[in-house]
Amino acid sequence: MTLQFLLNGLIEGSMIGLGAIGVTLTYAILRFSNFAHGDFMAWGAYSTLMLVGLIGSAVGTVAPIGPLSFGWPLILAGLGGMVFTGCLALLLDWLLFARLRARGQAIVVVMASFGASMALRNLLEFAFTSSPTYFSRKIQIARPIGLGIRITPDQTVLLGMTLVLVVGMHLLMTYSRTGREMKAVSQNPALARVVGIDLDRIVRMTWLIGGALASAAGLMVGVLVQIRPLMGLDMLLPMFAAAILGGIGSVPGAVLGGLVIGLSQAASVQLVGAEWRQAVAFVILVAVLLVRPTGLFGVQER
Amino acid sequence: MAAMLETDGLVAGYEPGLPIVRGASIRVEPQEIVVILGPNWAGKSSLIKAIAGLVPISGGAVRLAGAEITRVPAHRMVQAGLAFVPQTENVFPLLSVQDNLRVSAGGLPRAETAARIEEMFALFPDLARQRRLMAGSLSGGQRQMLAAARALIVRPRVLMLDEPSAGLSPKFVEMVFARLAEIRRGGVTVVLVEQNARAALAIGDRAYVLVEGRVAHEAPAATLWDDPVVAELYLGQRSDGGGR
Repeated sequence: MTLQFLLNGLIEGSMIGLGAIGVTLTYAILRFSNFAHGDFMAWGAYSTLMLVGLIGSAVGTVAPIGPLSFGWPLILAGLGGMVFTGCLALLLDWLLFARLRARGQAIVVVMASFGASMALRNLLEFAFTSSPTYFSRKIQIARPIGLGIRITPDQTVLLGMTLVLVVGMHLLMTYSRTGREMKAVSQNPALARVVGIDLDRIVRMTWLIGGALASAAGLMVGVLVQIRPLMGLDMLLPMFAAAILGGIGSVPGAVLGGLVIGLSQAASVQLVGAEWRQAVAFVILVAVLLVRPTGLFGVQER
Repeated sequence: MAAMLETDGLVAGYEPGLPIVRGASIRVEPQEIVVILGPNWAGKSSLIKAIAGLVPISGGAVRLAGAEITRVPAHRMVQAGLAFVPQTENVFPLLSVQDNLRVSAGGLPRAETAARIEEMFALFPDLARQRRLMAGSLSGGQRQMLAAARALIVRPRVLMLDEPSAGLSPKFVEMVFARLAEIRRGGVTVVLVEQNARAALAIGDRAYVLVEGRVAHEAPAATLWDDPVVAELYLGQRSDGGGR
């Protein structure tokens, strides 16, 4: 047995955690499980891919940065993809969720997100076919970092990106006015209105942030694994498990939950076989719901 | 001269066609303390919630210092100068005492927010000691203090409170009402919905008695308690405190 699974788990956990932040915020502030969140990841990856292509056709081939598999166009496109996906989430809310929310039945909104998920996924399959594609087909050499663990340059950089995004999100939630207002809305929307918080603005911020982080997670999956229309769907259960494990509404909880799920999945590949990998998230989800329904960082509401 | 707060035949309710407030007209002069009394289900809470923009209004008008604020969204009422303290769940339990105040200061510049928070702590010294504590861990009395401080931080012209004494021990009830009298001396107009009529009338200037969503009686607070009309309207419900 090697300790490589620790690194694999960390990377998988980062992808799950980045996506789970959006899941947990949407759940806490809009009070519904958005099953289309995984598809935001796929749309983020594909929109980034399209932007890379656009940049490529404008400036020609750009050499990769040092030992990485990609150059500055991907970084720029990644940021563009985050903006695009944030706006996509906003658009979906304006077209669909906001209208249903106004009628006041939460379950209808959840069901609508199932439909939106299917529509978004099929649009991608229609436009890009269901066969996988890649940001780069360049082979990356993994370098040993001790204890029998090897890491590629891409992995190092993307783990760094995750760290920056997660710390940034935590600072935003803890120290900014918007972060405090988001927490206030998640705890008591009616009181939030009474103290002068514009609910619509907070809802828009939630979608923008959730969509952008899903896109970053999609970029990470795209660079380190592959890009497929179903990539987000496969991440959906682990993301929800992470959000619930961490405690709904908690950003650090979602990330920690993601890491726990990612590490458990990677460990299960080594210990019990790869075919059980998907079951792990499910088992953890059920166990948390039975033992501590509020999650690690969750607090019993009222 | 325009009243500080005025409702004109206000009709409001959650369900269309089922109004709870049925044409209520009240008038509150600047720096008055006005108490709204009435039997259970008279629409007292709904009246001030409708004024605050929390219950849909289907008829009539609300004016604040002469400016119409009927159907202004709830989150803009603070800017208009109207603050509301709900009866229950009136603080954010998972934010610290300090952050409860900060999140309620809204658009104030950072330096002014900090200064206002200190002023609130000076007004409610109990809270200053607990500033870093989660609001959810405060006692009932302290929560009411925080809810009031939260409402006052934006320097409202009118402060409306929904049963601030509900669920409090007599010692705290006395303290809350003493604070309200102090707040009025600071230039704030106060509108109070209260079951605890005796304590509320002790600090109030005038009172309205609401029955079935309409004003049934209006009198100076000092004489209202001995008014036979009120006794009849209350149908023997002159208990101090108690349920809704």
